[in-house]
Amino acid sequence: MTRWGMAIDTDRCTGCGACAVACHAENNIQTVGEEEAGKGRAMHWMRIERYYEGVFPDIKVRFQPVLCQHCAHAPCEPVCPVYATYRTPEGLNAMVYSRCIGTRYCANNCPYTARYFNWFSPEFPAPLERQLNPDVSVRPAGVMEKCTFCVQRIQDVQDVAQTEDRPVRDGEIKTACSQSCPAQAITFGDLDDPASLVAQLGRTERATHLLEDLSTEPSVTYLRGGR
Amino acid sequence: MAGPAASVHEEALLRPLSSFRPKLFVGSLLTGLLVGVLFYSWGYQIVNDIGVAGINRPVFWGFYIVNFVFWIGISHAGTLISAILRVTQAEWRRPVTRCAEAITTFALLIGGLFPLIHLGRPGVFWYMMPIPTERGLWPNFRSPLMWDVLAITTYLTGSVLYLLLPMIPDFAIIRDKAMREHPKSLRTLFFRVAAIGWRGTPQQWFSLEAGIRTMAVVIIPVAISVHTIVSWDFAMAIQPMWHSTIFGPYFVVGAIYSGVAVLMVAMYLLRKGLGIGEYLNDKVFNNLGLMFLAFALLWGYFTFAEHLTVWYGNEHAERAVFDARISGEFAPLFWTMIVVNVLIPLAILPFPKGRKPLGTAIVGLGVLVGMWIERYLIVVGTLSFPRLDFNAGSYTPSWVEIGILVGSVGLFGFLYFGFLQLAPIVSLWEVREGEHIKNRQAPAQQHALHPASEEA
Amino acid sequence: MPDGRLHAVFTTSADARTALNRLGQDGVAHENVEVRSSVPLEHDIIPVGSKLRSRIPWTSIVGATLGGTAFFLMVKLTSEAYPLPTGGMPIVPLPTTGVVTFEGLAIGAILTTVATVLLECGLPGLKKPGPLDHHLALDHVLVSVTCDEGASTAWAVKAIETARD
Repeated sequence: MTRWGMAIDTDRCTGCGACAVACHAENNIQTVGEEEAGKGRAMHWMRIERYYEGVFPDIKVRFQPVLCQHCAHAPCEPVCPVYATYRTPEGLNAMVYSRCIGTRYCANNCPYTARYFNWFSPEFPAPLERQLNPDVSVRPAGVMEKCTFCVQRIQDVQDVAQTEDRPVRDGEIKTACSQSCPAQAITFGDLDDPASLVAQLGRTERATHLLEDLSTEPSVTYLRGGR
Repeated sequence: MAGPAASVHEEALLRPLSSFRPKLFVGSLLTGLLVGVLFYSWGYQIVNDIGVAGINRPVFWGFYIVNFVFWIGISHAGTLISAILRVTQAEWRRPVTRCAEAITTFALLIGGLFPLIHLGRPGVFWYMMPIPTERGLWPNFRSPLMWDVLAITTYLTGSVLYLLLPMIPDFAIIRDKAMREHPKSLRTLFFRVAAIGWRGTPQQWFSLEAGIRTMAVVIIPVAISVHTIVSWDFAMAIQPMWHSTIFGPYFVVGAIYSGVAVLMVAMYLLRKGLGIGEYLNDKVFNNLGLMFLAFALLWGYFTFAEHLTVWYGNEHAERAVFDARISGEFAPLFWTMIVVNVLIPLAILPFPKGRKPLGTAIVGLGVLVGMWIERYLIVVGTLSFPRLDFNAGSYTPSWVEIGILVGSVGLFGFLYFGFLQLAPIVSLWEVREGEHIKNRQAPAQQHALHPASEEA
Repeated sequence: MPDGRLHAVFTTSADARTALNRLGQDGVAHENVEVRSSVPLEHDIIPVGSKLRSRIPWTSIVGATLGGTAFFLMVKLTSEAYPLPTGGMPIVPLPTTGVVTFEGLAIGAILTTVATVLLECGLPGLKKPGPLDHHLALDHVLVSVTCDEGASTAWAVKAIETARD
């Protein structure tokens, strides 16, 4: 079996935001504008949270990229009345836009606040419409969305591997965020393959999970505090 | 027997049904305007998308869910209270049941509207209906929202039938009267249809009463399940101060509390406006006032228990929500709620003089405000403080949300004014039955055998 | 007496009962007697020989069982026909199914109760209103006897005499 997962090395993260921008471009995420963002409606499937440790002047900023954690026991899934979000056999927390009716219950029940809602229809003023990714649908107003682990890229690589009659190689799939990270802090791969890099990183001493005590069993591992 | 004596007062009940009442007309007109506000605001939102509301991330739920919980809570005024009183055979219930059950029906209709208003894509709300389609996909019955759909449908069906069943003999009384007085008028035709051919034979009475008794027994657990399930919309979520086992009973108590409150206000207005103090008399207010007091104490106790647990547990995410309530940005609302929901009721209701119509109505108004605030604090208070502090947010309602709230109050009034003109607001036959029972228990009076009239 | 019925209006249920007893003594079958009132007096005044029966609450219990079973099966079969795992839960978790089944029990009971009431009462009924129905509105008791013309006149005379006693 395959279980897609990610490891994010927060010790490497510089907080540059390249991942968030790449995600926008890859996944046709709308930019809501200053006014809407001021209302708390900015949409970034991948966001960089900043936490400050210590007291000025002895202060340290920690960056924490947060995206959908693709939990094995995702609290968002069972509360949806119309199965718009469920767990795929490959361990993805899938979001089916056409089923979503916009109750927003899933977003309320996500402890990571990783879900984003289309309050209005997306607009891509010229020439932005030219950079839309044809592999990803544009979501209408009233629909929930969130990180998909770049499912379209996974699909692509799997298709190629299938035609070449071979298994998907470790590191062959790169999500937009991991591809664009200059510090190479983001690793993507199959957690069920013990030899994969992401599984190896998950076994190191630095591996932690976000809000682990909620037993949501996230597929994203954070690496921090290394020697 | 109570025949003619009862009829004198009954005139006051039947008047709104048979003639033009300026007060009712003005009331309908004003509330009708508010209904316009409701549908204008909602229409504006449908055309311009859900974003015209003030909700955002992380406060994904706002006024609409608050109003939903509020109106569903109000709906516990009627059917539940009247069922409890019927099952316990409280004699003083007789004048109260009808006006309370009507509150339930209309409040449920309005409450049921809010999830629709709330949806991001209201056009496909039917994805939640358990109907076979070519998609092959049915709703997810693991979702508390689906339980809501089923529970509220059940409760609405039950409440409407529970309101209508005892109305059939009343419609028959009015029909029989009207057939003699204005056999050709449209109103008479309406009552003829509404009475669906009721004759009042012993068998009919026997079956009807058996039916009402059984409905009362069934509807009590249904009502409790409805507000429990509404509370589970929150309690099933692992969010701070939502994920609480006390929420089921806490919400049920709060719902009945707000239900009694609205009943108090409505009864006061009915008594003043229709001059039916003979029915909604001081004894009724006193008894319901005692019930009101009991629920004030219960609600206060639950609120304390809920907050004590959170404070003592001292968990980081929960404390953020708790502190915002007790001393932070939500403190003014929280303490207003404590004043109107606990302090004022406890200052007025324990005293017999406080349990007069005016006193209970004033307390009732306060409790309505307080219970709305309670739901606001639960919905917005928790959502403003997600577990990852970075995402903390705030919420300001837009004019659309305020318009819909105000409009929903108008819609309730509008429906209720309409109801007053279609059915007697006090059950005629149940009050008459009460008179008969009273007379039977009184020392037997001698009646001359006296056939009133005969016809061949 | 165009409809072949004798109607009598009583202001008290005691009088109505006396009249019904006499009708019984006269050997009138209870099917031919109709008693009507605007309040439930059924235990005071029923025609001699008639029996009041209701199938409630037994039909309600049957209805509840059917409703509960239907809802349970709806959840089980539809979830299994299109199984989508969510939140690490089983496809048909008993706790959530229980909640839905409960509502099925309730709606089944409610609908069958009302259906039973309507059926037993013969509602909606299409009988035309009678000439004396307004007395019902005044809280009087109306007794009608179906009979042939001669008998009704005799009874009427007798009843009036009784009233003078």
